[in-house]
Amino acid sequence: MTSIHTDVQIGICGSAGDGTIAVGDILKRAMARAGYRVIAFDEYPAEIRGFGKCVARTRITTEPVYSMKSETDILVSLNDAHAIPHVAEVRDFGAVVYDLAPISMVDEGWHISGHLNPGQLPYGLAMREMSEQATGSSRSRNMVALGFIAGLYQLPRPAFIDAIVAKFQTKAAAVTESNVAAFNAGYDNGAGTYRFDKVEVGPPARRTRLQDSTMMTGNAAVVRGCLDAGIETFFGYPITPATSIMERLSVEMPKHGARLLQTEDEISAISATIGAGFAGARAATATSGPGFALMSEMMGLGVMAEVPAVVFVSQRGGPSTGMPTKTEQSDLNIAVFGGHGDARRIVLAPTNVEGCWRCAGRAFEMAEAYQTPVVVLLDLYLSNRYETVAFPKKNPFLRDMCKKPARDKGDATYRRFELTVDGVSPRAIPGEAHGIHTATGLEHNEFGRPNDLSDMHFQMTEKRHEKLNAALKHPDITIYKRFGDSGEVEVGLLAWGSTFGEALEAMLLARDEGIRCAAMKVVMLSPLPVKPIKRFLKDCKEVIVPELNYEGQFANLVSGTLGRSVIRLNRVTGKPMAVAEILDAIRSAAGKRKLRKSVA
Amino acid sequence: MHRVIIGNGIAGSHAAAVLRERDPGSQITIISAGALLFYNRYELPDVFRGRCDWVDYLVYPPDYYQDNNIKLRRKSLVTEVNTGKRTLTLAHRELVSYDQLLVATGGSAYVPERLLDSIPLMHNFNNFRVAMTVRNALPDGGVVIMLGGDAMGLDLARTLIKTRHKVILIAGDRTFWPHGITLEDRPRYLRGLEKMHLQVIDEKQVDRIEQSNGKGPARRVVFSDGSDISGDVVMPFYGLTPSVDFMSHAGIDIERGILVDPQLQTTRNDIWAAGDVCQIWSPEHNAYRFYYGWKNVKMMGDVAARNMTGDDVSFTTTVDEALQIKADGTIYSPFWEHD
Amino acid sequence: MYSEHPVYLEDKLEEIRDSGRLRYRSKSMPTWCPGCGYYSMTEGVTWALNETGVRNEDVVIVSGIGCASRFPFFMKTYGFHTLHGRTLPVATGIKLANDKLTVIVVGGDGDGFAIGGGHIPHVARRNVDITYLLFDNGIYGLTKGQVSPTSAIGFTTPTSPFENHDQPLNPLMMLLSYGASWVGQAYAGQPDHLAEMIRAAIAHRGFSYLHILSPCVTFDKTDLTYHNLDLSVQDLPEDHDQTDRLAAIREATKVDRRSVGLYYVEERPTLSDSLDEIVVRAGGKAAQQAGAG
Repeated sequence: MTSIHTDVQIGICGSAGDGTIAVGDILKRAMARAGYRVIAFDEYPAEIRGFGKCVARTRITTEPVYSMKSETDILVSLNDAHAIPHVAEVRDFGAVVYDLAPISMVDEGWHISGHLNPGQLPYGLAMREMSEQATGSSRSRNMVALGFIAGLYQLPRPAFIDAIVAKFQTKAAAVTESNVAAFNAGYDNGAGTYRFDKVEVGPPARRTRLQDSTMMTGNAAVVRGCLDAGIETFFGYPITPATSIMERLSVEMPKHGARLLQTEDEISAISATIGAGFAGARAATATSGPGFALMSEMMGLGVMAEVPAVVFVSQRGGPSTGMPTKTEQSDLNIAVFGGHGDARRIVLAPTNVEGCWRCAGRAFEMAEAYQTPVVVLLDLYLSNRYETVAFPKKNPFLRDMCKKPARDKGDATYRRFELTVDGVSPRAIPGEAHGIHTATGLEHNEFGRPNDLSDMHFQMTEKRHEKLNAALKHPDITIYKRFGDSGEVEVGLLAWGSTFGEALEAMLLARDEGIRCAAMKVVMLSPLPVKPIKRFLKDCKEVIVPELNYEGQFANLVSGTLGRSVIRLNRVTGKPMAVAEILDAIRSAAGKRKLRKSVA
Repeated sequence: MHRVIIGNGIAGSHAAAVLRERDPGSQITIISAGALLFYNRYELPDVFRGRCDWVDYLVYPPDYYQDNNIKLRRKSLVTEVNTGKRTLTLAHRELVSYDQLLVATGGSAYVPERLLDSIPLMHNFNNFRVAMTVRNALPDGGVVIMLGGDAMGLDLARTLIKTRHKVILIAGDRTFWPHGITLEDRPRYLRGLEKMHLQVIDEKQVDRIEQSNGKGPARRVVFSDGSDISGDVVMPFYGLTPSVDFMSHAGIDIERGILVDPQLQTTRNDIWAAGDVCQIWSPEHNAYRFYYGWKNVKMMGDVAARNMTGDDVSFTTTVDEALQIKADGTIYSPFWEHD
Repeated sequence: MYSEHPVYLEDKLEEIRDSGRLRYRSKSMPTWCPGCGYYSMTEGVTWALNETGVRNEDVVIVSGIGCASRFPFFMKTYGFHTLHGRTLPVATGIKLANDKLTVIVVGGDGDGFAIGGGHIPHVARRNVDITYLLFDNGIYGLTKGQVSPTSAIGFTTPTSPFENHDQPLNPLMMLLSYGASWVGQAYAGQPDHLAEMIRAAIAHRGFSYLHILSPCVTFDKTDLTYHNLDLSVQDLPEDHDQTDRLAAIREATKVDRRSVGLYYVEERPTLSDSLDEIVVRAGGKAAQQAGAG
């Protein structure tokens, strides 16, 4: 039995108020507690009240995986009207669990049991009645359902009880008791139910190694990165899907003596961040597309005045207000190019939750070391999805990376914007007697005095651009990485952000099918690691760039920079890209080569 | 035209296939209480030969239903039929409407009243799940105590003996059901069973079944004379009771089964019945009677489907229903045959 | 004013140097028009800083866009010349990053009340411990004389050739209603009073707003001229209660009187105080305590 490689994706679908996200949360925490690897991603409605659809998806594995699966193994319906469209996601011989005793009579077609494909296995459960029997109320249907699947697949009951107790620890004891009672009623029923489906959950693998791992979202990892890097100020304005960064920091920063302020708008947030950065603090803000658009002008001041600042941007569906609760990767252009003038900045786009932590921490180092705003580009899928992550015991992030002016020199000779070999000038901060200066958004000379002579503008523009190249060699951060077959390959995938996970899975599946292929993730989007990308493209007969935007913004960046045409795989569905779609693209790219060869 | 078939056995499934063939455009829904697709119940004894994946028993692959546009609703129990409104009520509180209805719900295992209390201690064998339960409860070389011993039970007994289990048959008036055996012939047939290595206990009445405590086999069968025997599982095979409860308020004629004319139509012109659930008028016997076995039941599905789509054919049987004694003295039932 | 004794440049320069008022002046020569009120303001700030004795490196002057934008370059302190309308949030960031700094924001009526108007209520209600010197000349000077949010009705400019029809804002009333903890008005034509008001504004612990009336000598020849202001500017009534917000608002409504002086003052926790309290409640070590230690 130990040889079973568990890979099960569970989807729980209900209406807001059914406790869908709550049981999804318990499921993933319990499984992580039990020693499995977990990736999870929840779908919320944009509306807070009403009966919007919630889907909590959790992928539980023993081997490392990089994305959600497009197929679900087990679907639990807490609301048939919402769950019916998701039945098609359940694989053949997968399971669908639903309430056998809805509260009232429904017309034909409104019960989920009528929508199962013949290959799917139905598990009708009298959730409402069981909840009422166990707790006296029908409100714990969600716990009955969770208990049922836990019992059905013999998942470790104590881990679930622990997770339930932890979830309700701030509530009255009776709340925990009734939830545990409902869970146990479901568990016993599940354990006694004969299973026809072909979903197997084996024991957790390498349990000891994963024991000190934590499960968290991308946004929570960002927060941990900020704290580990010694964040001192945060200014922000609520916006989906970045808000949870500020919410979590609001709790954590004061514990470390650090300050957080909810500002009146995003302009104020970035302005205060740049102000704090100017005054020497490790400062950050977090926003999404609409807020980042408002920040563009101040980003330019940060570049011009060479002020360190970290800006987390979690992308959602755009343009304008767009789709606030759906994921997309359509803000690459604004992150890399946004704003007026030649305003190059560093842009990091992590591809997984661990990367969110690392990029967040390194972003503070880079902002300080290269005296510039750094954008960390996330997306809703990455911000909100859970993964089990193991952090190193020692905090790897460095402090005090600011290049300081020599102490013995007087003010008269201090050149804040000195033209140096690496383009990085000695930087004094207010309070330091030996470096008094005025920073400005005007073009300036080495002393920081306004100056718009042709040579000066050229030299300063060049300095502000070229100093960032050092970031390409910044220590202890992966800014690009190649996976899969080495040497020449039929198909190469070039991906960024959260979509890289799906790309990697698809590439591994394609290799299993015998296609020689490789995938490269690009974490640093600006400055772009041109040479390694070029080497990779040279190895690939066909290159696919999968991304969640319509125009192919990364494809444009790459083909514009390298003059190499690529196959664009663009989706704007508001959802993560399906692994199957990327796999199809790989197959057809590989097939195209073969076809060409056979014709020749 | 929405044709609804209640029941996912041979009769219902075969009727669906014929309906689809004869009327490609119509809507067909099969409503089944079970969780599985149509599978071959006749092969269930094979679980003792190690065939333990239900997929191996499927008559059609899952794609069949999609390819033929047949909607199969599983885990759906019909609790009521409203013939006036032409609607069915499902146990999960959903209404389903129909234009034509075919009832093919078959039957469930009959248990004599005096043993009703012992049902939790007995094992059924009428679907895959319970077949697996028996398999898991029965150790290698274990003992099955078979009560009654109808044709289905005897078929299972053949396999159990071949797979090195021991079968003790408590014979009674339902032994060989549905074959009618005269008292005069009975000893010969019982000897035939002994030839097949069944241990036969006759002329004893079972009083109760008990869970044995401690070591040894899990069950004890106590007879009315106070004596007892032990076995690992106790299985009732007293024949079938037609599953007609949900039709009781439908306003159609029911005796033990649903009464149908030779065209398999009930007393309502939009409802038909086929399989073990129906009693067919036999002009020859001048009575309503049951017909059993794969061949008969499949034929009923065929006839019902034809008549539902405008044909006018009558059910006739081609099966010789007699229980045979072979040259080696063992017995053979035509009801053991299947496709 | 005519003196019977001649004044020699050399003597005057020595007198200025001895006074210490150059301590906070950079070597750059101001670029404002001759007669501009910013000269009084520069003089006022350097005098006030001299009075406080704060170290040069502990002062940050923040400017936005407009005639005030170059102000920091003329000062020997840290300076941040930022964007149009964003001085207050930038200053907030600077102050929260380091409470020891004396942060002074300079800007005009366009920068403050047009493009930057949205930030003022929030910096006021939060009581960020910074000083905002708002230089109101009722016109856009740097872009050569367009109408501003404090321009009078009927004012004719290149962008209001058919006269301004928009009601001018009343900044004092706004600040008083926003909850600013120190609100005063001064006049560039009374440099000594202005300097004293700047000193008091900087000394106030909390957000201090000083509204400075000043003519644009180049583009406004008709409205807010020295002549007209000399006629209308007067002191606040002697019995004005500076702790009575409603009384202050009443005085602010008398737009024809243009009273100068301290309208309102209150002592209440600053934003840094509140954030430190949060830190203490969360079990962390507060920045102001940490800084003092």
